[in-house]
Amino acid sequence: QNVPVSGTIKATDGEILPGVSILEKGTTNGAVSDAAGKYSISVNPAATLVFSSVGMVAKELPVGNQSTVDVTLEYDQKNLNEVVVVGYTSSKREDLTGAIAIVDMAPLKNISSGNPMQALQGRVPGLYIEKTGTPSGANSRILIRGANTLGNTDPLYIIDGIPTKRPEVFQSLNPNSIESVQVLKDASASSIYGSRASNGVIIVTTKNGANADGKITIDFNTSVSAQSEKYARFKMLNAVDRGRALWQASVNDGVNPEDGYGALYQFDWNKDFANPVLNGVTVQPLVGGNANMPAGNTDWQKELYKTGIVTNNELTISGGTKTSSLQINLGYYKNTGMLRYTDYDKLSGRINALTSAFNGKLKIGANMQVASSNETLASTDIGGAATTGLAVTLAPTIPVYAKDGSWGGGIGSGYSDRNNPLHMQEINKWDNTHRLTLFGNVFAEIEPVKNLFLRTSLGMDNAGYYFKNIEQSFEEGSFGRSNNSLTIDQNRYLSATWSNTVRYNFDLGEHHFKLLGGIEAIKNDLNFEIARKEGFAQQTEDYFVLNAGTGNANITGTGSGSRLLSQFARIDYGFSDRYLAAVTIRRDGSSRFGKENAYGIFPAASVGWRIDREAFMQDLKSVSSLKLRAGVGRVGNQEIGDLARFGLFDTRYGSRRSQFPDGHNSFFDQFYNIGTAYDLNGANTGNLPSGIVSIQGANPNLKWETTDEANFGLDFGFFNGSIQGSFDYFTRKTSDILITPPIASAVGEGQLKVVNGAQKSNNGFEFSVGYYARPKGDFTYNVMAGMSRFRDKITVLPEEVRAAYPGNVTQTILGHSQFDLFGYKTDGLFQNQQEVDAAPTQVGAGPGRIRYVDSNGDGRIDDLDRVFFGTTLPAFEYNLKIEAFYKNFDLSVFGSGVAGRSGFDAYTFYNNFIRGRENSGPGVFDAWTPQNSGSRIPALSLSDANNETRASDYFNVNTSYFKLRNVQLGYAIGSKAIEKIKLQRLRVYVMAENLFLIKSREFAGPDPERVDVNAIPIPRTITVGLNVSF
Amino acid sequence: CSDFLDYEPKGLLSSENIKSASSAEALATAAYAGIGNDEMIGPMTSMWVYGSVRSDDAYKGGGGVSDVAEIDFYEHYNLTRPDLGSMHPFTWENFYKAISRANAALASMNALTEAEFPLKQTRTAEMRFLRGHSHFMLKMLFKNIPYITENLTSEEILKTSNVELTNDQLWDKIAEDFQFAVDNLPARQSQIGRANKMAAAAYLAKLRLYQAYEQDDTHRVTNINKTRLQEVVTLTQQVIASGQYSLQPDFAENFIAETENGPESIFAIQYSINDGTAVGRLSYVTGLNYPHGAPQYGCCGFHQPSQNLANAYKTGADGLPLFETYNDKNVDFANETVDPRVDHTIGIDGHPYKYDATKPFSNSWIRDPGVYGFFHTMKDQQLATSASYHKEGPFIGSSKNIDILRYDDVLLMQAEAYIELGQQALALPLINQIRRRAANSTGRLKKTDGTFASKYNIKEYASAGWTQDYARKALQWERRLEFATESPRFFDLVRWGIAEKTLNAYLEKEKARRPFLSTARFTAGRDEYLPIPQREISFTKGLYKQNPGF
Repeated sequence: QNVPVSGTIKATDGEILPGVSILEKGTTNGAVSDAAGKYSISVNPAATLVFSSVGMVAKELPVGNQSTVDVTLEYDQKNLNEVVVVGYTSSKREDLTGAIAIVDMAPLKNISSGNPMQALQGRVPGLYIEKTGTPSGANSRILIRGANTLGNTDPLYIIDGIPTKRPEVFQSLNPNSIESVQVLKDASASSIYGSRASNGVIIVTTKNGANADGKITIDFNTSVSAQSEKYARFKMLNAVDRGRALWQASVNDGVNPEDGYGALYQFDWNKDFANPVLNGVTVQPLVGGNANMPAGNTDWQKELYKTGIVTNNELTISGGTKTSSLQINLGYYKNTGMLRYTDYDKLSGRINALTSAFNGKLKIGANMQVASSNETLASTDIGGAATTGLAVTLAPTIPVYAKDGSWGGGIGSGYSDRNNPLHMQEINKWDNTHRLTLFGNVFAEIEPVKNLFLRTSLGMDNAGYYFKNIEQSFEEGSFGRSNNSLTIDQNRYLSATWSNTVRYNFDLGEHHFKLLGGIEAIKNDLNFEIARKEGFAQQTEDYFVLNAGTGNANITGTGSGSRLLSQFARIDYGFSDRYLAAVTIRRDGSSRFGKENAYGIFPAASVGWRIDREAFMQDLKSVSSLKLRAGVGRVGNQEIGDLARFGLFDTRYGSRRSQFPDGHNSFFDQFYNIGTAYDLNGANTGNLPSGIVSIQGANPNLKWETTDEANFGLDFGFFNGSIQGSFDYFTRKTSDILITPPIASAVGEGQLKVVNGAQKSNNGFEFSVGYYARPKGDFTYNVMAGMSRFRDKITVLPEEVRAAYPGNVTQTILGHSQFDLFGYKTDGLFQNQQEVDAAPTQVGAGPGRIRYVDSNGDGRIDDLDRVFFGTTLPAFEYNLKIEAFYKNFDLSVFGSGVAGRSGFDAYTFYNNFIRGRENSGPGVFDAWTPQNSGSRIPALSLSDANNETRASDYFNVNTSYFKLRNVQLGYAIGSKAIEKIKLQRLRVYVMAENLFLIKSREFAGPDPERVDVNAIPIPRTITVGLNVSF
Repeated sequence: CSDFLDYEPKGLLSSENIKSASSAEALATAAYAGIGNDEMIGPMTSMWVYGSVRSDDAYKGGGGVSDVAEIDFYEHYNLTRPDLGSMHPFTWENFYKAISRANAALASMNALTEAEFPLKQTRTAEMRFLRGHSHFMLKMLFKNIPYITENLTSEEILKTSNVELTNDQLWDKIAEDFQFAVDNLPARQSQIGRANKMAAAAYLAKLRLYQAYEQDDTHRVTNINKTRLQEVVTLTQQVIASGQYSLQPDFAENFIAETENGPESIFAIQYSINDGTAVGRLSYVTGLNYPHGAPQYGCCGFHQPSQNLANAYKTGADGLPLFETYNDKNVDFANETVDPRVDHTIGIDGHPYKYDATKPFSNSWIRDPGVYGFFHTMKDQQLATSASYHKEGPFIGSSKNIDILRYDDVLLMQAEAYIELGQQALALPLINQIRRRAANSTGRLKKTDGTFASKYNIKEYASAGWTQDYARKALQWERRLEFATESPRFFDLVRWGIAEKTLNAYLEKEKARRPFLSTARFTAGRDEYLPIPQREISFTKGLYKQNPGF
């Protein structure tokens, strides 16, 4: 028998709460509070009422015999009590003393890239991410608090307690399977991870069965996105306009345009170099005079790109009882790629299971993820030029197709030695990178005595990589390939981690202690083989297997590995909830270092003071929380390769330089023999006598790179948590940085060795603040903002290494970051010969040419005039997010930007200059002439006698920007409508990414994030999606 | 648990386990490989960038001056720039790598007895020959170089300056290695790729010839040393008298893979194909130098002969070079007579290319005629149909050996020594022997219709009027035509002390034909040698001294 119940709903501060939803638990019977906060509902007396409202902590109350149930709801203070994983143990958020960013998980749920790391871009102060438009969403650079070393800057990922340095593992996680992501930014937080923590640590925990009521919940998310790079295209010249520009450049140089470009164009002009007049330009009808190759007017960007379609489906099934729970997650992601013939798909699954016995005294669980992906990447032409770059630069007179339908290509004089990029994409469409990742752990935890936990965990990171590269033979213009080949490049990586910990928590009066001790052993092994064969009689995808090749064959392969053995401990101490302290220490032993220095010790300590809990603060009602934090710590880095300490000889039968890192030039190194085999018999063929050669000098004294850091932080909340934020300042110093200094060549081949040689310092801050508005009726909103800054610089660098970094004999990289720019400053263009004569001596100077600044004032422009003039890492990074909720609608707007950053403006490079064999942009028609003296584009010239492509601030300009990265509008269909089809929740949404951007006026290109013309542009994306629960 | 951290490298050796005779042999083999391990941007074998483009023989070629701009800097003698990161810095590095391979083998052999390593004496002499070769090449390019032996530790090497020895002392040091090789090598080796006594004698002769022209600190030739010249005569006589070598019947046979390791080749860097390496141990150093517009090649049109070189092949009615007037106007192949070596050297529109009449050279094969004209080099290329030919990516490699010492060079070295000794009459038959072979080398030059593309007229020099001055001029001309585009040209000019005079005169005329040369100028006292790579000076904290003028 139902009884009527009514009441008033208020917030803890007395505010009336309208629009609160009241639900009889387990039924669909519900009501909503009115403008006065009043409600009434008729329910079973045994029922429990659930009160929920946006921005408030939901509350459940049993009705009992009451007819009036007044409710006071607490403001949701953004989970001050949430549990944070801090490395082998956990802590309440309010008790943290280190600099730990807890990532807001909501934005990770719906992202078109399917890649949780991309979703983090701009959202976490202190975490700097650069990306490209590659279909897999792989990131190009991720930095936590800047670059603290000169080598690898990847952070350490801890996923369900298993460490990995491979960003792919994190990137392959399905966003909906992630429970939480935390970033340990300072050394006091991260030093528990010791020798691998100096680039910061990202801790990820996956979900493990939330329900305990025996019911099964099914969540299904699906979305379709359209990706386009149209906004990021470079405007380039058409066939005829390019001819006009080439004519102008030729006559400027006093060169007959027919000599250089007569094969491409017919120039109708007065042949008067003193006073040249162009009447018209006609494109020669045939490329290279070849009847099968009629000249085109090709917009290569249009040919190369299409709208990319991304589909993302994810299914999560979870259920559990009081003793066991299970979560299964399946995902399928497919991106058809914007660049034609690229694509990416990923199938992933996860099973997390947990069971317990003896009243929860024994827990056993497993977390296991499988991800299988296939990727066809952007390719290069036979000369190694990226198709993405060729889409911008290739001559428009080359047709896409020849008359007979075969591929078009350049023939004869006047063309570059480049291939048709669409052809190159098509011919590489069978190339495939297959990755298979198995990542997970099994664990058991017992609690033999109350609050004493013994835990053992065995984890693995097992990655398989299989790259199939089919090089078909083909003919195209003058630039074909006569030998076809198949290369299979595969490797297997297995990292096993065995961790054992003991935790004990106890209180002595107001003194709270949490103790942790543990040991960990990590074993990494990598094996790889590369097999190559030539001579395939057929060119079909199925025929390209190694057995079918009948030509030259070559196989290489080897392996390496490393071991890490560690002990660690942590003590957390709290006194009367006001004073907090934590001490950690870790001792790591690594196989990468010699006996002398195999072990390193990494201590840290931090303190916190909950000022708001002090008696003197109790009257200050406006301050709801206030905590001061300070910490110091030491972390390490051992990313130097497994064998760096050894002196080694190798039998390099027929190696090419490109097979090894640190060569001369990644392209030319493919043609650079460094092997030991030699045809002593003059047989010209067959197995050769071979030898051995030194490849590395020994350094038994090699040791860890160490980073010492101090961090000061303040967490605050005002007005019952409606304003919350934190501020952190850090300063760090990295010593004994691992470098491989070059030595005088006379010392000989294979004598380089890794040494501990350099130092860097870095400091900066992060600030974040949020305003969580009080609901007004059906409406509420939140505003969050953050900003961060870091500035790193090299403070010690051995003299012989400096040549590898920007600088010259008078100015060195010391005091600068390795990411700083070094080159010439420019000061406009020379207007006339008098200006040239009056200016410092500059080889190649002339009217209309760029004037370089004589920085050292010695009257001549030379190497000594180069200066540091900017940096490619930003001075500030900032973000702004607004969320709003109205009835069933939700809206979020997120933008982020960088300031104080310089970089290469590829468009200026192509738009402002004639490149004799490449296309230019329309900027060349605004080039300087005595009549057009206001232009900042130099007079057109084919010869570049002034060396204007030199590194200078002409190309390297302000690349600051602000981007509206994500706008999302969702609508949750009302519960009445969906209950008929047995659904709990049905939300539809539309989302736009990269909708617009603001950039510096100096930057001429469309997107300052694209400083490399060979990278696929970052797409503008429109997504529609569905979230369903039942 | 402490064993857990022990990790031993897989498939690699430490310095402890390379002390056997078989290791010494393996290190020696690697040292041979070392002299051939060069790259397009760090040549050690073909000196086309340093010796041909830098001389009056050829232009860079390719797609405009900015295509591999580094080579343009050599062509313009514009080497004082800081952005020059590739080419000669890598050549320096690569030769010292080769030296360190030879020294590693020598150090290993020194620790073995004859009983342990029966081939010790021969192999030691071979290693010293290889080390001598690398030091010689470095000296020819850079003049002032650190001299490194197997007895120096890394620390001692870092204290070895490039100006520790005088010019003459440095020649003598390098000569010691060749002398040791002459004294200890067998006259013949069962493996043709190894150096023998005659190769050592020929190399020592070459060194003594360079040494004979004594230079001061600004590279001026101050004296021609008669004792050195006499040594050249003696050493070359030893090679000639051995009877082991002779001129190939056809000049062409020096430039095609099918006839490599023939009777004219005294020491060559051996390349191979289908040999179990990924694409063969091929020579790629001239990989840019094939005709660009020809579909069977397709890259990259570098190394184009100069107009001046083409004109130099003109002959008069007497079948002799037109020493004074050759460059007054451009050669007309339809009407003027030429030395047949032109069609072995220069690709000309309508003439057989590389002895293949069915696919004659075409002007459309030229990549950038507006800048570099319509000639193309041929000697450093192989036909696409040759078994030695392999295209990898855009570039073309070949297993054709690169000759370091040829018999025609030995004959002309001896002739040069005789002329400078005032015994020019003894040089006359040597030069005429070269010309006789050239005259007989037309068998492969016919077009498909059986006629020749050019009018050949080449005669031997008469003894009448064969004065020392005339003989010197004839010798210099003969060397140019015999080795044109093979790159001795620039080094010959520097040795003779006439680089500045010859090259600036060449540029004065050539820049009117090819405006891209308008800013090129050879500066005497500087441009005879390459700058010491700046980074090597940095790495030795200023111990190395830069060459004058840079």
